[in-house]
Amino acid sequence: MPTMTIDGQEITVDRGTTVLQAATQLGIDIPTFCYHPGLTIVANCRMCLVDTNKSPKPLPACHATAMDGMEVWTQNEKVQKVRKSVLEFILVNHPVDCPICDQAGECVLQDHYFNFSAQPSRLFHRKQHKPKAKVLGPDIMLDAERCILCTRCVRFCDEIAKTPQLTVVNRGEHSEITTFPGEELDNPYAINVVDICPVGALTSRDFRFQTRVWFLQTGRSVCPECSKGCTIRVDTFEGVPRRYKPAHNPQVNDWWMCDTGRLSYSDYLDNRMEGPTTTVDGKRRVADTESAVRGAVEILRKEGAGKVVVVVSPWFTNEDAYLTARLLKGPLSGAAVYMGGRPDGVQDDILIEADKNPNRRGVAEIFNAVGVSYAPLSALSTAGKTTALIFGDNHGLSDAQRDLLGGLDHRIVVGAFMTPLWRQATVFLPARIHWEKDGSFTNVDGVVQRLERVVKAAATAKSDGWYSMKMGYALGGGYRFDTPGAVFDALCHDVPGFAGMSYSRLGDHGMVLGSGEPPLVPSPDVATDGPALEAAP
Amino acid sequence: MATVQVERRELTLAEKLYIPEVVRGLVVTTRQMLKNAFGKKDVATIQYPEVKKVYPDRFRGRHRLTTREDGTVRCVACMLCSTACPAKCIHIVAGDRGGADVEKYPISFEIDLLVCVYCGFCEEACPCDAIRMDSGRHPLPSFSRDKQRIHKVQLLEDGVRSIARQGGEGT
Amino acid sequence: MSMGELILWGLVKFVCIVLGWVMLVATVLTLMERKQSAAMQNRVGPNRALIFGKKFPLSAFLGQILADALKVLFKEDYEPVNGNKWLHRIAPALGLIPAMLMWLVIPFGPGPPPGVEGHHWFQMADLNVGIIFIFAIASMSVYGATIGAWASNSAFSLLGGLRTAAQMISYEVTLGLSLVGIFMIYGSVQLNDIIWAQGDMAWGIVTQPLAFVLFMVAAVAETKRAPFDLPEAESELAAGYFTEYSSMRFAVFSLGEFIGIVAVAAIAACVFLGGWQIPWVETPLLADGTVDYGWLTVAQVAIFLVKMVFIIWLQMQIRWTLPRFRYDQLMKLGWVYLLPLAIFNLVITALVMYVLR
Repeated sequence: MPTMTIDGQEITVDRGTTVLQAATQLGIDIPTFCYHPGLTIVANCRMCLVDTNKSPKPLPACHATAMDGMEVWTQNEKVQKVRKSVLEFILVNHPVDCPICDQAGECVLQDHYFNFSAQPSRLFHRKQHKPKAKVLGPDIMLDAERCILCTRCVRFCDEIAKTPQLTVVNRGEHSEITTFPGEELDNPYAINVVDICPVGALTSRDFRFQTRVWFLQTGRSVCPECSKGCTIRVDTFEGVPRRYKPAHNPQVNDWWMCDTGRLSYSDYLDNRMEGPTTTVDGKRRVADTESAVRGAVEILRKEGAGKVVVVVSPWFTNEDAYLTARLLKGPLSGAAVYMGGRPDGVQDDILIEADKNPNRRGVAEIFNAVGVSYAPLSALSTAGKTTALIFGDNHGLSDAQRDLLGGLDHRIVVGAFMTPLWRQATVFLPARIHWEKDGSFTNVDGVVQRLERVVKAAATAKSDGWYSMKMGYALGGGYRFDTPGAVFDALCHDVPGFAGMSYSRLGDHGMVLGSGEPPLVPSPDVATDGPALEAAP
Repeated sequence: MATVQVERRELTLAEKLYIPEVVRGLVVTTRQMLKNAFGKKDVATIQYPEVKKVYPDRFRGRHRLTTREDGTVRCVACMLCSTACPAKCIHIVAGDRGGADVEKYPISFEIDLLVCVYCGFCEEACPCDAIRMDSGRHPLPSFSRDKQRIHKVQLLEDGVRSIARQGGEGT
Repeated sequence: MSMGELILWGLVKFVCIVLGWVMLVATVLTLMERKQSAAMQNRVGPNRALIFGKKFPLSAFLGQILADALKVLFKEDYEPVNGNKWLHRIAPALGLIPAMLMWLVIPFGPGPPPGVEGHHWFQMADLNVGIIFIFAIASMSVYGATIGAWASNSAFSLLGGLRTAAQMISYEVTLGLSLVGIFMIYGSVQLNDIIWAQGDMAWGIVTQPLAFVLFMVAAVAETKRAPFDLPEAESELAAGYFTEYSSMRFAVFSLGEFIGIVAVAAIAACVFLGGWQIPWVETPLLADGTVDYGWLTVAQVAIFLVKMVFIIWLQMQIRWTLPRFRYDQLMKLGWVYLLPLAIFNLVITALVMYVLR
């Protein structure tokens, strides 16, 4: 247990801790380029050099291990001079084309230059020219001139993606990153190298030139593409999502996410159906939300719960699932419930899961706790039924299933996109999609994470749970909630796995099912406008 | 505190009588009238569509985009102008030019002249001397708002080559 | 002359004088005022409505008058929803008719001398009440403005109407009193007689200089023009009593106003500037005492018109020179200065006449 002093503050750390980690524990910031907490340490950028009493020359903080009696200065004149020199060195061949560089605004080199150097160039000879706009793979472009050779990307491919595709060739100022001969940077996690690239050398071909990063508005969300549920940031410009970025979450995805998930945002941008429709006298009509919900309720009431087939979706947020479970347990008890969702796909042992639905675990947990039993959608049977209530429109229905549903008298569809289900719908209720909802997902490992509402949905689009709640209320459910937070509180009260959770306790990294401390004082009645489940009729 | 006591001048008898002062005023206006009606005209009006006032050199008028030697647009779609714009009236869609030296170019470059406040920050922000407001032209009136959203083609209409050299020292 | 002939000649004279001259002058004035004010203020004035092309000298004048007329004719005639519709409709007429009626007793040219029977060819009706008739009619014109203001059901209009009523009543007193000295000196209230008498003695402006000033001030106030334009102060009341008028009704209001200006100018020319009298030129008389009409008469009519135009010009000049009074200043000027001055003038005149007799 070495005890050391950093900038006059004493700290005792575990053996093998680096100076950088110790400084981080003290809240002292040391600038870095090549150091990444998820990758091995190479100490080749020299940005983190700090002055110590153990060596006459400055030591790289990312690599130097803490020693007993070590004294470290991260702000003294020597360190400042060293940082200035290192930055000048790095900038010798950097083109400084920030205006047209996509990284500008989130560029580590830019930040460090303004923080630690900010001196004009003293160089007058030509810079070294290297390949620009070089295509490394289907999703990655390389600008070798901007590269500062930190080798984070090389290490990522070797260590995280386990597909050694990148390397450094040539020597000295001719060094550059390239792929191995005949190789492409095409591993399923390739775009992560763009995230970890401290400068604009590696750029995503998808996001390239789309917008400047300082125009982006950002919000935390969860990638819905598989049940892993990577924590992400949704970056929007002019109200339209432009990219996903993985957010650090040690419980789920560390710093990474797969390319499939990252590029999936564009699937949700088009073909939105945002207007409710009802059928009046056999004709589809545009309706307002209220009359469409009323139409749906009238159908359900007329037919009775026993004649209804309900298709629920593993794309529900926990809140949607809870409200729908209340609907199915209460006014619609007796209806046949089937669990839909997208079919399974590929998986690997890094992040990608076979189940391509974000919240199957949470929906199952909630439905079981509330007491709603369901069958898989493959067992769909409509014998003796007249009405289908279908949540979600991405169930991958077979033609036979579609015909079965088409044979019914009424189909109430809660969906978001232009799909065959929309054409079949008697009543269509437009739903919000994941980045338009406030709520939470439970991933395959039981980590409950928050979804923030990043994009403002059309006023007519509501979440699936909202429709369940409205229908349930109109059918005599007797419960009503004002906010997703109130639903989540009720859900945590009713579902044992969620006990002790709340939006604020979920935090940035989420909580694992069952890990929540039960509240010291049991909350009496968490529903804002109605009794909780036990008291429900 | 900062009250200034102003001594009111005592009016003379002639001023108090008012009539002489009225006559004095009438003399001034009549002289001016006669001068303008019969003598040398002293008229400040500029007969606008026929006669146009020459604006000073630093007048900030309708924007223009400058071109390079080969006639292509100088703008590299860095969006610093739309970043600096306090009115948020510049809308640029960037594209890949495919060239080796300059990768980026504006696929579309739109300025909403109705929103623009003619502050000139875009000129100041531009690292390439690509946008300028020295066309000396007003935005012209139009019958629809869409017409005031001018596009790259219109912006290049009075585009001439910029005097600045592309790139800096040591490139 | 029989009654039928009298009526026929009256109609002919009405057409010639009121429609042929007064309306024409009032119409041209609307443009002339703009051109005059432009010249005073180093502007150009309306010069865009060319109908005969640039070469024709009066092109812009005629074009502008025509354009103005077309504009007012084709604009929407708006009526306030909650106003009194009928009053709103007749108010402009109530404003215009008195202005036109004043012309009944104004002589454009020489008539029979005082005490001689004969027909006055340049006057519509030689009433024995003469100028008193003008005052009677002029005080009627306040109704047009006030009723129009009331019928508009608008705060601006109502304020304008109130101001009109108060201002007109206040300045009418001075207007009337300022002329009493003239009546005393020339011994008549008939304009024809006054003008003949001015030829014998001296012009009114010489015998009654103070009265001339008082009359001009009160007359400008009566015509509601700057610096007495409080009833229609644009900056305070939009347009005062005719804020809610548009189209031709608006034009009729302003036409009435311009006719009022011309009428006031005509009265001033008659009373103070010797009417149709040409200085140092005697009007030839026939053996029976009536006027021998000839080329001199034409010259006399012309000189009358010249005098009239001069007074109109003076009114315009004052209107574009002086800024607007404050309302209390206006009232104070009317009641505290002008009225005592008029009475003072009257007393002095009486004293002087007594002494000289």
